[in-house]
Amino acid sequence: MNKIIQILKKEFLIIGRDVHSVAVLFIMPAVFILIMSLAMRDLFDIHAPVQINILVVDQDGGPISKEFLNNLDKLDVLAIQKLDPNSTVDQITRRMFEKDYKFAFILTDRFSSFVENKSGGQDQKPLMLMVNPTVGTHTQLVLKNILGSNLAKMRVQTFIRSHEKWLALAGIDKQKLMEPVDTSIGIQYVYKNKQDYKIPSAVQQSVPAWLVFSMFFIVIPISNTFIAERTQGTLLRLKSINISKYYLLSGKIVPYFLMNLIQVALMILIGMYVVPLLGGTAFTLGSSWGGLLLIAASVSFSAIAFALLIASIARTTEQATTIGAVSNIIFGAVGGIMIPKFVMPDFMQRLSNLSPMSWGLEGFLDVFLRNGDIRDVLPKAILLLAFGMVMLFFTARILNKEFEGKRVL
Amino acid sequence: MIEIAHLYKFYDQRPVLNDVTLSVQEGSIMGLLGPNGAGKTTLVSILTGIIPKDRGQVFVNGWDLDKDLKSIQSQCSIVPQSFAFYPTLTAYENLLYFGALYGLDGRMLKARIDRAVDIGSLQAFLHKKAEKCSGGMKRRLNLAIGLLHNPRILYLDEPTVGVDTQSRNYILEMIKKINREQNTTIIYASHYMDEIEHISDDIAIIDEGRIILHDRKEAVLTHTGKVSIQVESLSTSFCDRLKHLEGLQIGPKGILVDRNERFHTNMMQLFTLFEQEHVEIKDMTFGYKNLEDLFLTLTSVTLRDR
Repeated sequence: MNKIIQILKKEFLIIGRDVHSVAVLFIMPAVFILIMSLAMRDLFDIHAPVQINILVVDQDGGPISKEFLNNLDKLDVLAIQKLDPNSTVDQITRRMFEKDYKFAFILTDRFSSFVENKSGGQDQKPLMLMVNPTVGTHTQLVLKNILGSNLAKMRVQTFIRSHEKWLALAGIDKQKLMEPVDTSIGIQYVYKNKQDYKIPSAVQQSVPAWLVFSMFFIVIPISNTFIAERTQGTLLRLKSINISKYYLLSGKIVPYFLMNLIQVALMILIGMYVVPLLGGTAFTLGSSWGGLLLIAASVSFSAIAFALLIASIARTTEQATTIGAVSNIIFGAVGGIMIPKFVMPDFMQRLSNLSPMSWGLEGFLDVFLRNGDIRDVLPKAILLLAFGMVMLFFTARILNKEFEGKRVL
Repeated sequence: MIEIAHLYKFYDQRPVLNDVTLSVQEGSIMGLLGPNGAGKTTLVSILTGIIPKDRGQVFVNGWDLDKDLKSIQSQCSIVPQSFAFYPTLTAYENLLYFGALYGLDGRMLKARIDRAVDIGSLQAFLHKKAEKCSGGMKRRLNLAIGLLHNPRILYLDEPTVGVDTQSRNYILEMIKKINREQNTTIIYASHYMDEIEHISDDIAIIDEGRIILHDRKEAVLTHTGKVSIQVESLSTSFCDRLKHLEGLQIGPKGILVDRNERFHTNMMQLFTLFEQEHVEIKDMTFGYKNLEDLFLTLTSVTLRDR
């Protein structure tokens, strides 16, 4: 028992005193989580209210154009900034670029007559929309739709008002006709398998992604201590004491496993309490502690086993850290860590299924986003455990050769 | 205590230990002298079970290395040439860790650590990180760890490399004290001739994987009764042809001929063989000034770039 305690204690002391490893395991993912949660907040926040800033020039100046602008002003989606009615197109353009407005529109002097259907088919448009070409098509469509529907609404209302008497005689309810059309449209989100589902926010994606990434970076401290043991002669002493290689392997697996679990807890806490302090949305946990523990343990096991294999193959810490870091970056890039899987094209999404980081990430997302439990996480956990077993098998083979003296230390 | 017979070890089919036969008396200090790459570390590694042998027999304290490795390992300790401890742990943490691995705990562990600390005079830097210690301190710690389980046999592989004269003398005295007070058998591998001369009871000279001389220190140093013949080089086949002659010690660059009753016959046969094989004699001397003189004669190490 004393042996086990001392082995664990030794490993914890070594890791704790290795500033670089602590930085890689804890500071790197914390920084990534903070940066990515804040940087990608709007990108992920697909259901958040949209607000379009827009400049307006009312050349018409009549009660109808004023009512039109008042109606638009009441919409949360638009933030209207009125300019002098005599502003020229050049002045408006200059103002757009000065203040970084993406849109402006001019209500021309024939706006009122157009709304009242008195324009008589002239060529000039009653509303001229000016658009910064950097604006995406989606946003242009949104704005065009808002302006078009409001314009149409005003024309209908003006028509109804001018034919009030006739409508009353025909027994038609004027108020019902004037009811806004959009209030009659309801929205209902639908989910696969009727699961409860959280909308993926930046923090909800960043915490598991960078957590998985950093868990695999356990390769740095593992290879540092493992290779140092070989090169400094400590392994010779251990071999002369007749310590089993399986003892040595376990001595590495257990402390680093605990280290990974501390990472999981810390990164979740950062997502829950630190990200909101900086203006991001708070990270929320799923409901299955069993699922969370299973996927965390599986990711940790596969990451440690992978790290042990690299540490056994490499001759120097430089080799190990280079191979380890490059493999992790590739796993991360392919596995949806750096770029979320849902923005990848189909073939890349299929390719990402080959990365153990993707299995880990999907497992965590099952728990954090899809309210999954152990059953949902199990397939990914099995893949990760199988991957870890294969890595450990090869590690044991290499260590066997080394212990039997067939591989020169 | 240690009996080695016809021991072989190959790396990539190249013999790094070639027919090594050696015996070490209980309680003695045997100096294993050889240039870098001569096979000292390989021999010590085999004796401690770190690497397997390819051929030959080794008995330690009556135990067969092939069958009783665990028993042998429980009785011996190796102090490798490199620092075999964790640099970011303190001296005390290292002692605690290795002590636990040796199976010690509780009061026994504490007592052994105290003793190792005392022998190595580690008190002043016991709670200092090992990496912050001087070369001499590190060497003493390296040795102290090897003493924790009270080994009956202590293998020291170049234990004074990279330390100043003061620390070196301290370490040598420390080793002599361990040997004297606990009757520990010590195998001291080094390429420092003065150390071997100072510390050893027996001396074995190893070169290119062969033991080319093994005797009591006094006998080695008073080899005036021998004739040393230095040649360009001796082929393996040539050496094999000399094997049947008694009273010869053969190295790759020279031969020592005992001045015994067969001296004349041996010399005659040697010269005949030299002539037949066109072996050029470079020098011939009678006796040696010191160990270095003998060592250089046998190994011609100064001429080799290893």
